[in-house]
Amino acid sequence: MSDFSPGGINPEIVLTAMRAVAIRVSEDLTVREVSGDAFDVQIETDVREAIPALYGMEDVLRDGPPISIPFVQLNDDTTPPVTVSSARDKLTGALWLVLRDVSEESEVQRQLVQNHNALALAEAELRAARDAALAADRTKTSFLANVSHELRTPLHVIIGGASILSKPRSTALDPDEVVGYASDMHESGVLLLQLVDDLIDLSRSETGDLTLYEEWCDLNEIVDKMVGLGRELPDAAGVILEAKHIMKAPRVFADGRRIKQILLNLISNAIKAVAQRSDGEVRVSVDRHDDGSACLIVQDNGPGMSEEDLAIAREPFGQPRAAVRSKGAGLGLAIVDRLAKLHGGALIITTEPGQGLRAFVHFDATRFGDKI
Amino acid sequence: MMKTYKIVVLGDFGVGKTSLIRRYVLDEFSDQYRATMGVHLYKHTDRIATEGGQSEIRLVVWDIEGAPLPSGQTQRYVVGASAALVVGDLTRADPYSAMWSAADMFEEQLPGRPMAFALNKRDLSDAPSPDVVKRMERRYDGPVFETSAMNGEGVLHAFHSLGKSILARNL
Repeated sequence: MSDFSPGGINPEIVLTAMRAVAIRVSEDLTVREVSGDAFDVQIETDVREAIPALYGMEDVLRDGPPISIPFVQLNDDTTPPVTVSSARDKLTGALWLVLRDVSEESEVQRQLVQNHNALALAEAELRAARDAALAADRTKTSFLANVSHELRTPLHVIIGGASILSKPRSTALDPDEVVGYASDMHESGVLLLQLVDDLIDLSRSETGDLTLYEEWCDLNEIVDKMVGLGRELPDAAGVILEAKHIMKAPRVFADGRRIKQILLNLISNAIKAVAQRSDGEVRVSVDRHDDGSACLIVQDNGPGMSEEDLAIAREPFGQPRAAVRSKGAGLGLAIVDRLAKLHGGALIITTEPGQGLRAFVHFDATRFGDKI
Repeated sequence: MMKTYKIVVLGDFGVGKTSLIRRYVLDEFSDQYRATMGVHLYKHTDRIATEGGQSEIRLVVWDIEGAPLPSGQTQRYVVGASAALVVGDLTRADPYSAMWSAADMFEEQLPGRPMAFALNKRDLSDAPSPDVVKRMERRYDGPVFETSAMNGEGVLHAFHSLGKSILARNL
């Protein structure tokens, strides 16, 4: 316990010089005596009304150690910032509170704090900008390395096959072998074309040059067509791929070719995810919401993935650590994401390891011609 | 006399603590940064929906000088608080470390008192990672709100959730 014993000094003079008051309060925190007139504190009132900083501190004031609350400012224009401290009179045991005006030192300190904080915030912004620039540079380098790798693999197949077939002794090859080489070269060519198309889409979406050709489209019709195409994908054998229609098919104002691209990418990913299962299932549906918006949903019962893997999968060339490396270059989700955003929508994915994956492509109500 | 409860608002500097409080109490917003020195007190009476209907609650909201790590002075400021709102800035590279430091300090000083978390400046940033939000809710048993002092998103919800917890626990 600290002392409050002014001794031989006239406390009124000291308090006035300091712009302070000393307030004696009873145990029920009623003001009993006020020394000094720097603040308007009325006798017989609840001291917490004069000093709201004391709300919640009742137990500490009565039974705890002395308190000291520096630089307290009430949110009004009339009360200056104060420091509040408590003390027990050694002789009488009375509880005293001292309220001291700290306007001047408070403003000087506030300016220091303001300058320090502003500087620290500016430094943090610069650091973040530098980190973002470095990350962008790393992404660009990694992107180029990935593109090179993805281009080289099918090119090797094409060059190798062409090299064999162009040699004079190729006439000695078994016809089945010739067909095999030609088939591999064709497949690699198709892969290369798909990759180049994806890269162009990705690049145009980044630069804002990807243009949508919007018209009224029938979502159920698009779902049917893409499910039909999905059934012809190489990994689709044995996979249950079904479309679920909603009764009142909404017509959507969108780029039909791009909506098909979105769906086929998601269906292709889902089929690859369940291809190893004997009970692999992919369900495609359209869901309409009460607010008039709608979602295309592609759901699979594959292995699912963790939050971390999902974040990787959404990046261009992202190959989740836990996933079996797919045949694709890892551009599909990145493109779906950008195409959805171009339509003012969003790609939302919910998944957990062992729980399959649900991809929702959300379109807001303004894209639909009807009212719910 | 109706009881008055103390709510402290904690977090790093510049995350928008003052702006959140001023949006809640005064329904105003300024984008000019003005550092808080020491503590500013806001008295506010509110009505909160509880299981028994609408309840009136009197609050003194403590807008405490921000810092990445809570100081000894911050510890003195939280004495006697009924609840805390811990604020982070979603636009920062790491909005969470300073929040966890403040929450740990509050939990150590006043174990079991309700806390809520405001991920602020949502209008300027993407949504927070659901993973981090879940971890925060589990670790401190307090709700997490995405807030914007600028447009008011989530602000009332954050303060009302604390008010409800205070009344429910009769702190």
